[in-house]
This record gives sequence, C-alpha cells and structure tokens, in this order.
Amino acid sequence: MRRYLCDVCGLIYDEAKGIPDEGIPPGTRWEDIPDDWVCPDCGATKDAFILIE
Amino acid sequence: MKEKLTLKDLREGMYITLSSGWLSHDFAKNSFKIDSPKLLKKVQAQSVAYATVDYEKSDIPDNSFVEEIGHNNPVNDPKHEAPPEGWSSRNVVPEELIEAIEDKKLSPDKKSAAVYSHSIEMMEHLLESPTAENIHASKQAISSITDLILSDNRTADSLLRITTHDFYTYTHSVNVGVTGLMLSKALFKNSDAHDLHELGAGFFLHDLGKVKVNPDVLNKPGRLTEPEMRHVRIHPYQGYKLLKSANALSEECRLIVMQHHEFVDGTGYPRRLKGDEIHLYGKICGIADVFDALTAERSYKKAMSTFDALKLMKEQMISHFDKELFGSFVRLF
Repeated sequence: MRRYLCDVCGLIYDEAKGIPDEGIPPGTRWEDIPDDWVCPDCGATKDAFILIE
Repeated sequence: MKEKLTLKDLREGMYITLSSGWLSHDFAKNSFKIDSPKLLKKVQAQSVAYATVDYEKSDIPDNSFVEEIGHNNPVNDPKHEAPPEGWSSRNVVPEELIEAIEDKKLSPDKKSAAVYSHSIEMMEHLLESPTAENIHASKQAISSITDLILSDNRTADSLLRITTHDFYTYTHSVNVGVTGLMLSKALFKNSDAHDLHELGAGFFLHDLGKVKVNPDVLNKPGRLTEPEMRHVRIHPYQGYKLLKSANALSEECRLIVMQHHEFVDGTGYPRRLKGDEIHLYGKICGIADVFDALTAERSYKKAMSTFDALKLMKEQMISHFDKELFGSFVRLF
C-alpha cells in the first residue's frame, strides 16, 4: 500500500485508509481513483499528488 | 463597568479605549478621557468601528446617554445587553453600514470612512459565524456597497484611498472588495454583460475559506513553515465549497474565490492554471489580493506605498499577471 502527498496543501492519501468520508473505501489503489477526483482539502487535481512511499 | 459603543454614541466625559491595533487613528494613546467637545468631534471623525468606555474612569455615569436620547427603559435597549454568542443574520450587517450608505447628506470623506469601518465590522461578524444565512445577509449589504461604488464616484475614490491595514482577514477582505470592484468598474462600466453585484460579493468573500484554516497558523506572527504554508492553501477551495453549500453566488463568481491565488504563468494554486484557464474575474481578484498583501504591514515586513507596491508588481511579478489587466489596475491610482 502506498501513500501520496498533495503537493499543494499537504494532505496525505493513504491507500490502506482510503477516505471513507469522501466515498473512497480503505484499500482503494491510487490508479483506481477517478481522474476528475480532486483533493478534498484544497481542490488540487490528481496530478498534484506525489508518491512518498 | 465597561461597554463597547459605536463612535456616534460617545459623550464628553467618557474614558475610552479605541479599538485600535487593527485600525489606525490620529491619537498617540489608545486610551484617554474625552475632556472637550472638540476632542469628541475629533474622536468621532476617526475611521475606527467602536470604542470601549470605562465608566469607572469616566466623569459620567453609565446611563446618562440613555436619558439624553430619551430612552426610559434601558433594559430594552440592545446596547445594554451582553453581546450575542456568534452573530445571527439579523445583526451580522451593522445597521450603521446601511445608514451610512443611504445617508445623502454625508460628505464623500465621511461617507467612505463610515462605510469602510462598518464593512470591516460586518466581515468580522461574518468570519466569526459564516452560516449560509449570514453569507446571504452580507451579500445583500455588499450589493448596496457595490451600488454606492458604481453610482457615487467621489465616495468610491475616497474608499480606494482610505484603505488601512492590519493583521486581520476581515480588513483585507474589505480592501480587496473595494479594489476589485474599482477595477471591475473601470473595465466593465460600459458593458451589461457582467453582474457587478455578484462580482463584488466574490471579491469581499474571496478569503471566506480562511475560517477553515487553523487559527494558530493564521494568527502566527512571523513567517510560516512549509507545512503551515501548505495548510493555508486549502482556503480558496474551502471558501468555494462554503459558498456552494450556502447556494450563494453564481458559479462564475464562486470561481473568484477558487482562483484568486492562480497566476497566469501557472505558478499559482490550487490548480496551477495558466493564462485564460483562469477566469477574468479570478485574475482581477488575484491582482487586488497581491496588491493589498504588499501594501499591508506584517511582523516580518514593512508596509509598501502604493507606488512601491505597483513598481514591485511590475518589475518582479509581472509574469504572474495578465499584462493588460495590470495596466488597467495601475491606472486606478
């Protein structure tokens, strides 16, 4: 499971945890998140996220 | 006993503390006794929203002005009740703001000073309680301010000149509101394709999302660390979401809030939009926002004059802005 950092606001997307509040269940892989998804905190698009581990 | 009063309710003999630290005034000290009618006049001419009266140090008892203005039951006077918890839509907009806008006898200088200080008060209330109701009530008042700026050139020009600076989002909101509207007026005055009332609301509310930013970060004196700077970057989208859920403003005006930190060279946030990917309204707000930030004093930097700020924007930041738009902005001053 990988973690991604929003390079705009610092939110971390952790594949293991998902973001259940946003309708993303735990275990959702990054590539399975739709391309038009935006960071729930700052509204940045997926391409603003960088793989951190 | 201490009481917060608007300047028009002050009387000779009162010992007052001006609500400064956030608005400058002409006095050397924040606290003093009003010992002459002349001093009272001078105090009332300041662009400060209110003063706190300390009756123990005053020459007059705390109900003298109630008798003077003819109230015989002070308990029913809301001025004598504790301030409300939060602000409801009934009082988020100060009555004095509407009175000042509608007062046809006020000189442009007095009118702009009153509208300015009470607009700041309104934004302060709104940012304390940014409910959907309060957003709508404020939007209506901003609509009246927009009418004033569009129809009364002398008061509008005076408003542009009297902007003051402090640490607070609500003062900055009013400054960007006024400057953004003045630029829009210059650009769109002969066009009916733009709803300046919606635009005005967008400019005044552009930083609404700061209510979702951790106050410790927002109020931190000095420079922010990298993670803190990142956290602040949530505010355009958070403001956009707040306005969307309040169902306030058209989508293109909500874009003002969403895009006011985007730069035409693609170095802004959150979307790193380039050129005309940024809505014209967002570009206007971006210029007004940078200008106000430069002319404001911060603990780590001095305030710049209008001239120096425009010079710096032209010489060091011009790639961030639409050049034509920046040219129109410079011509406002």
